[in-house]
Amino acid sequence: MSNGINRRGVMKGMAAAGLAMPFVNVRTAMAQSGPITIGVVTPLSGPAQLIGTFVREGAEIAVEHVNANGGINGREVELSFRDSKANPNDASVAARELIGSGVNLQLGTISSAVALAMGPLLQSEGGVVITSGAGTEKLNHENYNPHVFRVGDSPVSRNAGLVRHIANSRPDIRKWGGIIPDHEYGRTTWKIFEATMRKAIPELTGEEAQIAEPILVPYGSGDYRNYIAQAMRQDVQGIYTSVYGGDAVTLYQQASPFGLFDKIDVLLDSANEFLVATAMKDQTPAHWSGFHWYFEANKGNPLSDQLYSRYVERTGEKYPMGWAAEAHAAILAYKGAIEKADSTETTDVIAALKGLSFDSATGMRHIRAEDNQAIKNAELAFIEPSSSEPDGFAVTDYVSLEGEKVIEPARPGQMLDIDAL
Amino acid sequence: MMYDIGLTVFNGLAWAMATFLVAAGLTLIFGILHILNFAHGGFFMIGAYVSYTVMLAFGAGLPLWVFMIGAMAAAVVVGLLGWAVDMFVFRRLRDVEDAYSLIATYALLLVCGGAVQLIWGLNYLSVMPPPSLNSVVFIGDVFMPTYTIFVILSGVVAYIGLELLINRTQIGQLIRVVAVDPWMARLLGLNVTRIYLVTVIFSFAMAGVAGALLMPNQSLSPELGGIFLLQAFGVVIVGGMGSIRGAFLAALLLGMIESFGTYLFPQYPGIFFLLALAVILLVKPSGIMGKEQTA
Repeated sequence: MSNGINRRGVMKGMAAAGLAMPFVNVRTAMAQSGPITIGVVTPLSGPAQLIGTFVREGAEIAVEHVNANGGINGREVELSFRDSKANPNDASVAARELIGSGVNLQLGTISSAVALAMGPLLQSEGGVVITSGAGTEKLNHENYNPHVFRVGDSPVSRNAGLVRHIANSRPDIRKWGGIIPDHEYGRTTWKIFEATMRKAIPELTGEEAQIAEPILVPYGSGDYRNYIAQAMRQDVQGIYTSVYGGDAVTLYQQASPFGLFDKIDVLLDSANEFLVATAMKDQTPAHWSGFHWYFEANKGNPLSDQLYSRYVERTGEKYPMGWAAEAHAAILAYKGAIEKADSTETTDVIAALKGLSFDSATGMRHIRAEDNQAIKNAELAFIEPSSSEPDGFAVTDYVSLEGEKVIEPARPGQMLDIDAL
Repeated sequence: MMYDIGLTVFNGLAWAMATFLVAAGLTLIFGILHILNFAHGGFFMIGAYVSYTVMLAFGAGLPLWVFMIGAMAAAVVVGLLGWAVDMFVFRRLRDVEDAYSLIATYALLLVCGGAVQLIWGLNYLSVMPPPSLNSVVFIGDVFMPTYTIFVILSGVVAYIGLELLINRTQIGQLIRVVAVDPWMARLLGLNVTRIYLVTVIFSFAMAGVAGALLMPNQSLSPELGGIFLLQAFGVVIVGGMGSIRGAFLAALLLGMIESFGTYLFPQYPGIFFLLALAVILLVKPSGIMGKEQTA
């Protein structure tokens, strides 16, 4: 009987190890003194490619800035891009491949499904990811994972911020309805909207908020007329919507001739920033939109001004989406963490990210150690059609709300407590 | 109550005719060439973008005649693309298994998306209807946007035109002969290849026109190609593959089911079309006007 080990086998193994040693040493040395490579796993093709382009620009502008100011601990930063296609399977393959080639620090996740898939993968493979805007509340609640950080808005701070601002500025609007995409994120945003509004209105007016059943709409539909007809039947003064991107443009286009926007006093759009306005121009319905980052609200902040001017120089476009600022912030967070830890090892960087305070295009952000969720200002702007403006629309009001006042308490591992909002 | 029913019927008609406009070219190609053209949505999208470009060139205001010029430009451009596709793709697919057609036309759909991205970019774009189509008409209490009425009428006109073309003209007669038995048609001296080419150009031009006519109610993006494709395939399948009349009836049936389903059960958006598709195919697998397959 043989145990499978013989002298020839041992010699072969030693020879192979000997041959490999120089490469192992070189790679370790490079990891300690060469450029720091950060992986960007983001959609570079497919339906979410547009968002991926903002992530790419934001990350590259941040790296330019960091390298121009001495890098991180004197080391240059470089980016390695992979296409996630906003799909958990493709993103997992890309993330694993990057870790296999020594790139343990990653960013760029914009999809909730991808962000949720990244946690267990990175935990087992030994990496860390900072999301660039994934919106699910589960990330810092029931699916909390120590290897996943969110330096952008939580869905609570975004939507509670919108509600608090509108309730304060228009307490006369007490009858609300909603048009919500029929998927997990849509239902979450509505849950937060409803709970916050039901609390805010009585606090301010002493009267109950009247909130109609939300109108659920399918994702990627070409025809919203039936849902618009439902909205027309409701006796509401304000409509909240988290329908996003091209769906929102189609919905607004089709709703306009029905007179839906003439019927209501306020349209509250959770996240489209300039997507709708740049498409619809002077046909844009007047609305408040939540923003990851609105450059005018941060004028005078050197990081914001530099991000905006470089974005315009690089792309020739005047309206960057906030996804760019979230990728930008992720690079700055890694810089802060690596300098704090004096290491790029995953465990050291995770420890350093927890509790980190760092400056960004929206001002100082603080990452809560408990649930890896950043506290940052919630920004929103009022966009109106304007035929006198060359772009057909104008931002006529904006606010930046203190993050601490609109974020929910940290409850990692537990479901979002709607009653605590 | 009557108001709700009136509006629901109106919305169902709008869904039906918008879908039929897209499905008409799809079912025509399948009926004659027996190719399931996945790329149809891509060429529909290119039609929308071409029309957008024409309207942009004429500036704001957009009288109806500019809109119609945009539609004609879309028909010409996409029709020419149809010529190229027939020459370089469809002719190579005539004697191979269906699976190759599916793969090739799916690849064409991807090429359409890539081309749109290169020419027009990734940003969302939109155009409102011409002012003369951007008002509201009241019939009783039911208010109907004139643009939506225009879409419904366009669908009806397209159907009547196709029926007349196929059944009442000489070219229609030739197309029907080729569809039934291309081998015999060839023996009789007909230029089958040319008839196929005419059919493809016409079907593609219809996709272009559909894109142009529906554009003012859609956001334009490289994903537009997929938006109507599933609905259009559903209509073609339920109608009976290759039947223009079947597609028209199926569009009406599915449109009403979708519209009334959403009205009665708003908590389940978007499922009634799929549910109806499944049930109808279980009951009549060959579709409303399809011929039963025999062993």
